[in-house]
Amino acid sequence: MKAPRNFLSEEGRQVCRNTIREEMERIQWLINIRWWAPILIAAIAAMGVATGFDGSVAKLFIVAAYVLGYNAFFYRWRLRLGAEPAATIPRLQHCTTWQAALDCSAIVLLAYLNGGTISPMSFLIVLPIILVATVLSSRPAYGFAAFVLAGITLVDIFELVGWLPHQSPVFRQKAIFSPPNLQQVLFNLMVLYLLAAIAAFLTTTLSKAKRDNTEALEDLFESATQLNQKFWRLFSMIQAIGSAQNLDQVLRIVTSESAAVMEVQGISVKLLSDDGNYLRYAAAHGLPDAFVREKVADVQKSPLNKRIIEGEPFVTGNVKAKEIFQFGEILAEAHIKSVLFLPLHLEGKVIGILGAYCLLADRFSEEDLDFFRLVAELVAIALENARAYEAVEKLVKERSWYMLRVAHNLRAPLAGMLSILDVVRGEYLGNLNAEQQEYLRRLDRRSRTMLMMVNELMTLAKSREAQQTDKTKSVEPELVARRIRRTFQERAAEKNISFNVTVPEDLPAFRGDLEMVEQIIENLVSNAIKYTLPDGRVEVKFTRTANMIRMEISDTGIGISKADKPKLFSEFFRAENARAIEKNGTGLGLAIVKEFVDKLDGRILVESEEGMGTIFVVDLPVATNQKGGQHDSAGNP
Amino acid sequence: MKKNAVILVVDDDPDITDSLKIILESRDYIVRTASNGKEALQALEDQKPDIMILDIMMATDTEGFDLAYDLKQRPEFKNLPIIMLTGFLEKVREEGPGDFAYILGEQWPAHWLFEKPLDTNRLLDKIDEILKERT
Repeated sequence: MKAPRNFLSEEGRQVCRNTIREEMERIQWLINIRWWAPILIAAIAAMGVATGFDGSVAKLFIVAAYVLGYNAFFYRWRLRLGAEPAATIPRLQHCTTWQAALDCSAIVLLAYLNGGTISPMSFLIVLPIILVATVLSSRPAYGFAAFVLAGITLVDIFELVGWLPHQSPVFRQKAIFSPPNLQQVLFNLMVLYLLAAIAAFLTTTLSKAKRDNTEALEDLFESATQLNQKFWRLFSMIQAIGSAQNLDQVLRIVTSESAAVMEVQGISVKLLSDDGNYLRYAAAHGLPDAFVREKVADVQKSPLNKRIIEGEPFVTGNVKAKEIFQFGEILAEAHIKSVLFLPLHLEGKVIGILGAYCLLADRFSEEDLDFFRLVAELVAIALENARAYEAVEKLVKERSWYMLRVAHNLRAPLAGMLSILDVVRGEYLGNLNAEQQEYLRRLDRRSRTMLMMVNELMTLAKSREAQQTDKTKSVEPELVARRIRRTFQERAAEKNISFNVTVPEDLPAFRGDLEMVEQIIENLVSNAIKYTLPDGRVEVKFTRTANMIRMEISDTGIGISKADKPKLFSEFFRAENARAIEKNGTGLGLAIVKEFVDKLDGRILVESEEGMGTIFVVDLPVATNQKGGQHDSAGNP
Repeated sequence: MKKNAVILVVDDDPDITDSLKIILESRDYIVRTASNGKEALQALEDQKPDIMILDIMMATDTEGFDLAYDLKQRPEFKNLPIIMLTGFLEKVREEGPGDFAYILGEQWPAHWLFEKPLDTNRLLDKIDEILKERT
């Protein structure tokens, strides 16, 4: 799946990026200063040794190693987060929280190993409290403060009870192994509590304003992300609709996509009959089969449907009132609690109803309704487009079929007529005088022109009717060139026209159908020769452009006037100067060329000056499977 | 060249059968005509021709085909040379078995296919060629 496209404004994205960067820097800062903690601990140990402490200071290095270890872990975590393109604020804070938790545990451990509450080191516990209060919000800050204090208190209690051996502070000349007395402990704990509370209060209050901003921003970011997702889905819905061909496909996409966009269980689309009296379930997604089966509802008998069609949306968060729902029982069985119905508007007319169904009660808010309206509009447009597309398609099909039929039916009598002409002209029925022969020749010629016209009409009709061309087929330019040479050499020689076809070596294949490619170039070359006066020149040149193959058909013929150029590719159009040369053209040749070039995803350009000549440039795509196809056949055992 | 060869022309268009009859008879062939599959079968039973010229689309779009496939199943007509005619080459091309190349291949009951309107000279040459091969 593609990454969601971002619909946030540039400012919004900048703010998010800045916040993320700040959060990232804060994490980095924490990690950086933590590298100093083991050094600090080593310094404490060294001071202990320097002041003549007679116990072991090695225990302190356990804490140092612990801090070093987890800091290295966070360092890697931070690197990973930095490499992630989609790091979010909650994920960064997750990292910070873990750091605070481990810092607190380290400080409790350090305090214990250094004599507990009675140690002067115990005051270090305010450090993580201050840190946490600055980087997180006040609730976790107080939470961590309580956690540290509870830890210290527990250590003291365990020492008093004798469950934990007392650890001497390292600053005494003589190690003390007996636990302190209760009075001392209580006093120290009280001071500690007070200190911690003040520290937590002061720092949280001071950083509150800033934190509030961050939190507001987080909320904003969160909702922006959600909105972004919604828009992305809407966008992909539009894309999907755009690529759909028929009404069924559009309905399927529309229902499943809008269920995803609106995060609901089911979607239904009911369409209004032309007379507006009946509603038919056209499609449903995520609903029981009973919905999918074609059901027709009489609008007059359903007050609910009538109200919706009149333009009033309907929302309920508690589907129980069976009397207003046709499918109340089915809905209850499917555990659907909330439903929403919206009219599908198109150009001020209601064309149907969009329904959304959700398993949660009271799911649809006022805000949702606005969003649903947007979706409904989109759905209505999509449906109307699909309808229009289908109607046009049907019309085109009918037209093509009609043309094909007419052409077929015209050809049969023509064939009979030409056969009879053959018999008469062949003098099988008796000899003819010269004048009779001449008139029959003219009759034959006119009939053959008519036949040619019918044939070209058929080609055009067939091409219009044919579905997408086969994209996997390919055509070798060399083959096309050979055939063109063979077909036209003689005709060009008869008119004393120099005719050249050049193909560079290792030119890749065209994508598409040999017949179509051939027809394109045949029509163009045939025209070039026809409209070039004797002693002229006709050239066909194949070349390679970026991802196309170019065929240039140039001649030194009569050319095309500026006025005629725009009409060149229309059916039945024949230029004035072309008529003068060839009376019997059909005006379909270039229309066929254009049709085929379009079918093959190519393009055609024409450069011409009247009396000087014409160049047709045809670009056709290179075959996509060229190399792959060869590999396949070689790789197959 | 074998003279007086018998040629059966089957087409529902009398303009075609009549014209062909005149042209072929002028070459001293004996010409029988039929205007549908049933008549053609009858004519085949009466006298086995040396060559059959058969239109594909008559009453139905495939009447000529059906007849030709039928004959391929029958030992006595299996080797009868058939020249098929069609006014709608595109249709045959689209609906024929597989590619156009097959038209003259094994799966086809006919060995020659001519498009209507007919090029009479080419048809006469083809008939000569077939008869020459047969002798």
